[in-house]
Amino acid sequence: MLFEYAVIGGILLGIFYALLAVGLNVVYGAQKIINLAHGDIIMLGGYGAWELYNTYHISPILSTIIVIPITVLFGYLLNRLIAPRLVKASDPEMLSLILFFGLSEVIQALASLVFGSAERSLPVSSIPTSRLVLFGQGYPATWWVSALVIIPLLAIFVIFLYRTSIGLQVRAVISDSVEAAVAGINSKRVSGIYFGIGFALAACAGVWGVFIFGGVSPTEGAAITITAFAIIVFGSLGNTLGTIAAGIIFGIFYQLAQVYIPSWSNLVPYALVIATMLIRPQGLFGRRQRIA
Amino acid sequence: MRKKTFPVIAASFGIALAACGSSSTSSSSSGSSGTSASNLPAAPAQITVGTTYSGSGSFATSSLPELAGLKFWIKTENAKGGVYVGGYKKRIPLKLIAYNDLSSATTAATLYNQLLTQDKVNIFVSDFGSVLTAPAVSLAQAHKVVLFDQTGTGIPFFTPQNKYIVLTDLPESSIWPNVLAKFLISKQIKNLAVLYGTNDFDASQATTLKSILSQNGINVAYYQGVPSSTTSYGTLLQTISASKPDAVLEFGYAANDTPFLQNVQSSGMHFKMVFTVFPGQLLSLFQQQVGTAGLAYTYTYGTNFYVNYPTVSEGLNSSQFKTQFAAAFPGQLNSLSLDGYNTGLVIQASLKNAKSLSQTDIRAGAAAASGHLNTLNGNFVINSEGAQTGELLPVAQLFPSSSGITLKAVYPASQATGSAVYPAPVG
Repeated sequence: MLFEYAVIGGILLGIFYALLAVGLNVVYGAQKIINLAHGDIIMLGGYGAWELYNTYHISPILSTIIVIPITVLFGYLLNRLIAPRLVKASDPEMLSLILFFGLSEVIQALASLVFGSAERSLPVSSIPTSRLVLFGQGYPATWWVSALVIIPLLAIFVIFLYRTSIGLQVRAVISDSVEAAVAGINSKRVSGIYFGIGFALAACAGVWGVFIFGGVSPTEGAAITITAFAIIVFGSLGNTLGTIAAGIIFGIFYQLAQVYIPSWSNLVPYALVIATMLIRPQGLFGRRQRIA
Repeated sequence: MRKKTFPVIAASFGIALAACGSSSTSSSSSGSSGTSASNLPAAPAQITVGTTYSGSGSFATSSLPELAGLKFWIKTENAKGGVYVGGYKKRIPLKLIAYNDLSSATTAATLYNQLLTQDKVNIFVSDFGSVLTAPAVSLAQAHKVVLFDQTGTGIPFFTPQNKYIVLTDLPESSIWPNVLAKFLISKQIKNLAVLYGTNDFDASQATTLKSILSQNGINVAYYQGVPSSTTSYGTLLQTISASKPDAVLEFGYAANDTPFLQNVQSSGMHFKMVFTVFPGQLLSLFQQQVGTAGLAYTYTYGTNFYVNYPTVSEGLNSSQFKTQFAAAFPGQLNSLSLDGYNTGLVIQASLKNAKSLSQTDIRAGAAAASGHLNTLNGNFVINSEGAQTGELLPVAQLFPSSSGITLKAVYPASQATGSAVYPAPVG
C-alpha cells in the first residue's frame, strides 16, 4: 500500500517538480545559459501569491494566472537588456553565470528588504481542502490541487511550443538562431518572448511552492535552482518533454525515498545528477551527439 | 552593530584572518586561571559581547527576536552606565558585535572564529539553536573562552571535558521530553510515532523520549529521523498513519513544524494527539502560517513566556519585560526575545559574581549564580557541565478561541492553566 501511495503521490508531486524545472529549461533553450537566479524567480512568484492572498484575498489558483504577464514582461525586458552584451562577450557562458549569480543575490537582498527575513506561508484553507481519495488512500489537497492547476498550464505551454507559428519560430531559434534569422525570423524578439515565458513558468511554480515547501523565504532560491538543475540534467538539457517526464520521475523517486530511506531522501537530486552523468550523460531523453 | 553584507567575502577573509591569528592569544582568554584581587588588571573601558545572528534563512524567525532580546538587555544596562562587574565593583559599558551568519553553520563557524581571534570579545554568545551553536562549542573550548549558549541544547555540547559552556535559556535537550514522557504515560498512550530532524537538538529529544517510553512499556511503532531541511511530509504521514499511533510527535525546527502541521491538515488525517516543538515559542507566527484549524488541539512545549514570574532576583519581571520590550522592539515580542534578554541576565549575574574578567572567573561566576538566580525565565540551574537543568518546560495544548488560538499549559498539574483534551476532537 505504501509503495502505491508513494508512486501516485510522487506523480502528483512530480507534476509540480516538472513545472519547477521546465522554466529553467526554457531559459536554457532561449539563450543557452543556466539561469542561476531561477530559484529566486520562483521565490518571487511565491511572494507574489502571498501578497495577493493577504492583501487582496486572491486565491493562489488565480494568482498563478496573474503572475504570468508580469513575469513574461520582466523576463523579456531582462533578455533584451543582457542578450546583446552576452553575444558580444568573449566568454558568454562565464559572463552569464556571473551575471545571473549577481541577479540572484540582488533579488534575494531585495526580497529580504521588502518582505523581511521571516518565512511566509499561506493557509491551507486558501485552496480547496478536500483530500483526493484514490484506491482507498487519501492524498493531500495541496498535491492534487497543484497538479490540477499545473497540468493545463504545462499542456498549454507544450501546445504553444509545438502547435503554434510562434512556437515553430521558437524551436527554429533554439535549433539555430543564425539560420532562423536568415529565414526571416526576428530571433531577438522570439528569444526574448521565450525567455520571458521561462520566467513566467518559474513564477507559477513559485505560487505552488509556498504549499509544497511549506512557505517562502528570501534565501530559498539556491536550493530550488539545484533541484531544478538536477531535473533538467536528468531529463536532458533543452528537452521540454524530457524535463516534464524527469520532474515526474523525480517526484516518484523522492516519495519512494521518503518511504524506504527517509533519512537520505534529500539526497535524491544529487544522486540523480551523479547517476545521470555516470550512466547517461546526455540525459534520459537526450540523443547522442553526432560529430561531423 | 556591524553587519556583513557580503558573506562570501567575509567568509574568505575570516578564514585568512583565522589562519593569521592562530598563534595570537585572545585577550578575552587571558588569565584562564583565576585572578586574585591583588593582581587584578585595570578595568577595560568597555566589555564586548560578540555573537552571530541569522538575518535571513530558515533560522531567522527564531534568531532575530533572540538577538533583539540581547540588544534590549545591553540597552537597559548601558542606560545604567553599564553592567556591574563584581571584581571591579563598578559598572562597565557594554558593546555588541554581531555578525550575520545567514542561517549557515559554515558561515557561523568562520564568524565565531573572527569574534574570538580578531575581535577578542569578552563575552561570547552563540546564535539560536543547536545547528548554529555547534561550531561555537568546539571553538570556545579550543580558545578557552566561555560560551554563553542561548538555546543550543544538544546533548553532545555538554561533557565533563568542556568547562567553557553555559546553557542560559532552556534545559538541555535530554531534559525537554521528560515532562512530555510523563504526560504520555499519564494518558495511558500505548503506541506512538516519533518523527525527528537529524540534528543534535531534535535527535537528542527523540532519543531520550524513546528511552523513557520504552522503559515504561510504551511501544514506539514508528521512529524515524529525516533531514532537517525536510518540508514535504505527505508520504511520511501516510507511513506514520499505517502504524496506527495514539500520538504523533514531530521534533523539528520551526521551518519543519510549519509544513508538518500544514501537511497533517491538508492530508485530512486525524490523530488523537499531534505534538510539535515550536508553536509554543512562536505562537503568533504559527497562527499566521498554519491557521487556527491546523493548530487546534495540537500540543507543544509551553515556554516561560506564558508563565508569569512577578518576583525576580535579576532584571525585569515578566510583565515589565513584555511592556518595555514591546515598546523598544515592536513586533518582536515572543518567547525567543525573552530568551535573548534572559541570556543577558545570566551574563549579568555571572559578571556580578566574577572576581575579574578572566574566562575562568566568568565561568565561576555563572556557577555561583546557579540555583540562586531567578529571572523571568524561571530558576537558573546548571550542572557541572554547564547544562541547564532548571527552567523545565510544561506540556501545553493549543485551544481554539475567539482571538484565534490560546496556549494553555496542561501538564504537570503544578504548572497547568488548563486541562488536556485527549483524544483531540475530530474536525
